[in-house]
Amino acid sequence: MTKLKEKLSFFHVMILTYMIQTGVVVFSITHLEALHFGTNGWLMALFTSLVVLVNLMLIAIVHRMSNGRSIFEILEKSIPKFILFPIYLGLAALWSMIGCLVAKEYVLIFQMYAFPTTSPMVFKVAIDILAFLLVIKGVYNISKASTVFFFSTIWMNLLVFKALDDIKLERLTTFLFKEGGDMFTGFLNIYIAYIGYELSLLLFPYVNKKTKLMKAVMYGHLIRTFFYLMLGIVSYGIAGHNLLKKMLFPLLDLLAYIKLPFIERVENLFYGFFLFTTLITLVMYYWAAGESTLRIFPKLKSSVHYFVIILCSLIVSTVPVALDQVLRVLYLLGCAQIVIAFLLPVILILLLLIQRRKVVKHG
Amino acid sequence: MKKAILCVILCFSLTASGCAADSRILEDLGMVQTTSYDLLPDGMLSITASIPMADPEASAKREVLTVVAENTKNGRIKMSRETQLILVSGQIRNALYGLSMAKKGIYRYMDTLIRDPSISPELKISIVEGNAGELLRKDYDQHPRTGKYIDHLLEKESSWQTIPRVTILSFLRDLFDDGIDPITPIIKDMGNSIKINGIALFQDDRYVAKIPADDTMIFAFLKGSFKEGEINVDLSENGDKKEYAMLSSLVSGRKLKVSYHNQQIKVRCEIKIMCSILEFLGDLEISNEQDRNKLERRISDKLTRKADSMIALLKQHKVDSLGLGSAVRNKIGYANWKKMNWREEFPHVEVENKIKVVIKDFGEVR
Repeated sequence: MTKLKEKLSFFHVMILTYMIQTGVVVFSITHLEALHFGTNGWLMALFTSLVVLVNLMLIAIVHRMSNGRSIFEILEKSIPKFILFPIYLGLAALWSMIGCLVAKEYVLIFQMYAFPTTSPMVFKVAIDILAFLLVIKGVYNISKASTVFFFSTIWMNLLVFKALDDIKLERLTTFLFKEGGDMFTGFLNIYIAYIGYELSLLLFPYVNKKTKLMKAVMYGHLIRTFFYLMLGIVSYGIAGHNLLKKMLFPLLDLLAYIKLPFIERVENLFYGFFLFTTLITLVMYYWAAGESTLRIFPKLKSSVHYFVIILCSLIVSTVPVALDQVLRVLYLLGCAQIVIAFLLPVILILLLLIQRRKVVKHG
Repeated sequence: MKKAILCVILCFSLTASGCAADSRILEDLGMVQTTSYDLLPDGMLSITASIPMADPEASAKREVLTVVAENTKNGRIKMSRETQLILVSGQIRNALYGLSMAKKGIYRYMDTLIRDPSISPELKISIVEGNAGELLRKDYDQHPRTGKYIDHLLEKESSWQTIPRVTILSFLRDLFDDGIDPITPIIKDMGNSIKINGIALFQDDRYVAKIPADDTMIFAFLKGSFKEGEINVDLSENGDKKEYAMLSSLVSGRKLKVSYHNQQIKVRCEIKIMCSILEFLGDLEISNEQDRNKLERRISDKLTRKADSMIALLKQHKVDSLGLGSAVRNKIGYANWKKMNWREEFPHVEVENKIKVVIKDFGEVR
């Protein structure tokens, strides 16, 4: 494992959290809110965010009890390695596949606008090469890159002000969650829009007390919540819940408000900026997968780990070819990740309690 | 570092070589700017596309293609057979629908426009009184090429509120919203020019009635708040001398108040219009405060009466193009709203209009 001399700063962790959470679901979140919750479904972004905060509290407890030890050290202290290694492999597979399919979804959406007949794998390989070059630099450099990417994309949120004239609050209606669909699936879908914060579990060895890790993660998450809510109000105010149900990627249609007098559809170029946020999401998931496999094969160089991880997930990602299939698989993987996000901190807290009792007993 | 640069070069060359099949050369593209649809008596579609010419060697300013097909995308394939250009839809600004099609319903022909990601949701929708294809094929000598002419005409008029700015996004939004019915501008071929000829009122996606061009400002007052615009108010009563007031720099604010008692819905529409008066033909002295107040009252009364007749027209055709239903829906609660059939209920709702005009200035002379 690469030992870093420099620790992550509060600001970097905050931005990194926001960037990991900003994946491809951002394009479709208001559609999902309208589809599953109907009127004022955008409020679900707030309710779901509160559940995420509960999950973050669990992670904060683990962080406080761990005294800066990595979660792998905690696990390995109480559980034999022959049980842990298959779990590590499973986690690595899950995380690398999430990262990989997020990129694939990005590519497939991109291809609806440009280069529709080119093989998606051409773009996928290109993105994976960029991801590989970034992930081998380690988490400290990824966080620095994500800060740069953050500033090159955050301004896009201000574009909603261009649409202010068309927002009518009466379109939001006074009804709560009417004319929706399967609310539980909807909740999971919106929760998936927030996942990524749970990777903070792996950041313990890379921070110190000055970082205030959990506060930074929470702030990053709150920025994401704020922008999801803003996007929700704007989308509902412009399109209304019935049209949102029909629009698969409402955010891309909202970008149409960026108009130049001499050329139409210039907003499609802005879609390229979302590569930055997607790239950080997939890089961090690849990084997490690498952290996991490094425990099994510590002697192998980290770049070899990442290369194998990216290559394997790339091969698997050739299986789903249609956007719909990718969305379905990502939903399932997202659900698995939600379970892990809750289960892992609970297991860690139990193990830490047992380990503490043992120390007290022996002490 | 060298390895990284090599990787990036490899990555870009891989991408570039992989996209060869999707390459587009600007000179080879036929970028459709305006497209029109008419329904023929046999149920087939007559589709016309206007394509501005980028080729400096071509004498014509645009290429116009017309085909008859059973659906829109097949029409495009047929059109493609008639031109050396690769037809692309990314630059479409306007879609025109002939009255023949609008009367039957236009949603099924719009579906492709919203589904195609290359087409902007800001594409403007209009109805042509008469044959849309004929209007688009025609060249108007005193004006720019027809597609551009229509686009600029619609943009300019919508900024002056005489017509609503209707895009495919706003049309579909109102179509799917149960508290409002969609509208579009109507244009008409006048021989040497194209004229804005009113506002088309839709019941779901079917054209059912129109608001004449002279009354579109009244519709704008009732529809919502806005800034900028002008209106000529005819104050002459039967047998009287002719009296006209020209109001400019309009700033109009609308407030809807809905009351709901004993299953009875009442909507009060309060409109306050601030304006400048730059021309008045009549006996009153507009620089005199008393006369001006009197004039304000007369204009207010006249506009209120016109608004009342417009509501009556909407009720007669059972179209809530003003979106009063949205305000009612938010007031009466979900259960009551769902129990009610708004289209049937709307003609029975009491709508009270109250327009107040305030003349804030009267020009540079007393």
